[in-house]
Amino acid sequence: MADREQTSVLSQQLLLSVAEQLKLPLLQLARQAEIGQLTKKPDLQAMQATADTALRMLDNYVLGVRMALDQYQLELEPVSVSAVLYDSGQELSRLARNYGVDLELHIGGRFGTVMANRVGLQSALVSLGAALIEALPALEQPQLKLQLATHRCRYGIVAGLYTDTQQLTTEALRHGRQLMGGSRQPLMDVTHTAGAGVFIADSILKAMQLKLQVSRHNGLFGLGTVLLPNHQMQLV
Amino acid sequence: MAHIILIEPDRVLAATYKQGLEASGNSVVMCASAQAAIFAADEKRPDVIVSELQLIGHSGIEFLYEFRSYTEWQTIPVLIHTQVPPAEFSNSWSLLRDELGIHEYMYKPLTSFQQLQRSIAACLNSTIPVSV
Repeated sequence: MADREQTSVLSQQLLLSVAEQLKLPLLQLARQAEIGQLTKKPDLQAMQATADTALRMLDNYVLGVRMALDQYQLELEPVSVSAVLYDSGQELSRLARNYGVDLELHIGGRFGTVMANRVGLQSALVSLGAALIEALPALEQPQLKLQLATHRCRYGIVAGLYTDTQQLTTEALRHGRQLMGGSRQPLMDVTHTAGAGVFIADSILKAMQLKLQVSRHNGLFGLGTVLLPNHQMQLV
Repeated sequence: MAHIILIEPDRVLAATYKQGLEASGNSVVMCASAQAAIFAADEKRPDVIVSELQLIGHSGIEFLYEFRSYTEWQTIPVLIHTQVPPAEFSNSWSLLRDELGIHEYMYKPLTSFQQLQRSIAACLNSTIPVSV
């Protein structure tokens, strides 16, 4: 009973965070349309990318909620991490272009497959990526590069997104989780938004029995998850 | 023509506002952070500052306290154009307005670009702060 109540509070906080976050693309659309009309130069491509971002965020939020409510069958399958990172990069490319952020893919090496739900994993990575892309240009001395990368660690294979943002710490993530829904800027040192993308990724990964955590890759700081290798497929 | 420092952490929004303000003959410097705004004001004195309060690391209020601590910038008009709703200021607004010399508060989601332009024009023609 207590678990159910806690889940309900958490989902309300996530909903609040998504509602706050959704104001941003809607505001962008409203002003892009208004100024486009005034200057007679509407940037329809930018508006389309903005609308797509909002729709993707809503879709990922719905997926996370459905997974948590067991409405979406979580089928584990052998998944290539490199392929998921590549597809996530493709999905994020237009948003990245809009924000002037360069996306880099670091998927070299043989990582084999992991057992995961492909749709869930990709949605989580795209949510995380969108949150970081929106935040990067606002950081002090921003290096506008975001790496989608994978590497081995002692517990398995890590898939994540990395940049040189030193503010991305375990402490910042822990505080953010505590403040989600209660503060309009729970990840204050990382993003100026409600950070809904991070919390949506958190909820999707949680529904897959995975954990969002702060991770490092080649001296960069980032957020990612540890996946268990699929030893059976490696034997084949 | 006015020289405006626009403190807006979202790059897409900042570029959109900049396009509109420049189309009406203003020169605009976009700053994503409080520190960048201090550097920009140091480089060229702005006629007006339009600032978001929700910034990374520091809040816009902290920025304004720092900004107003420099005597040469104490008379530059400041407009607050923010995602933070007015209800969160109800108790402290008059204190902030008087201490920080805020000209006007605008709730960004409900403020059209044309309203923003009118407010910028109004504060350039007046030195008396208006209430929220």
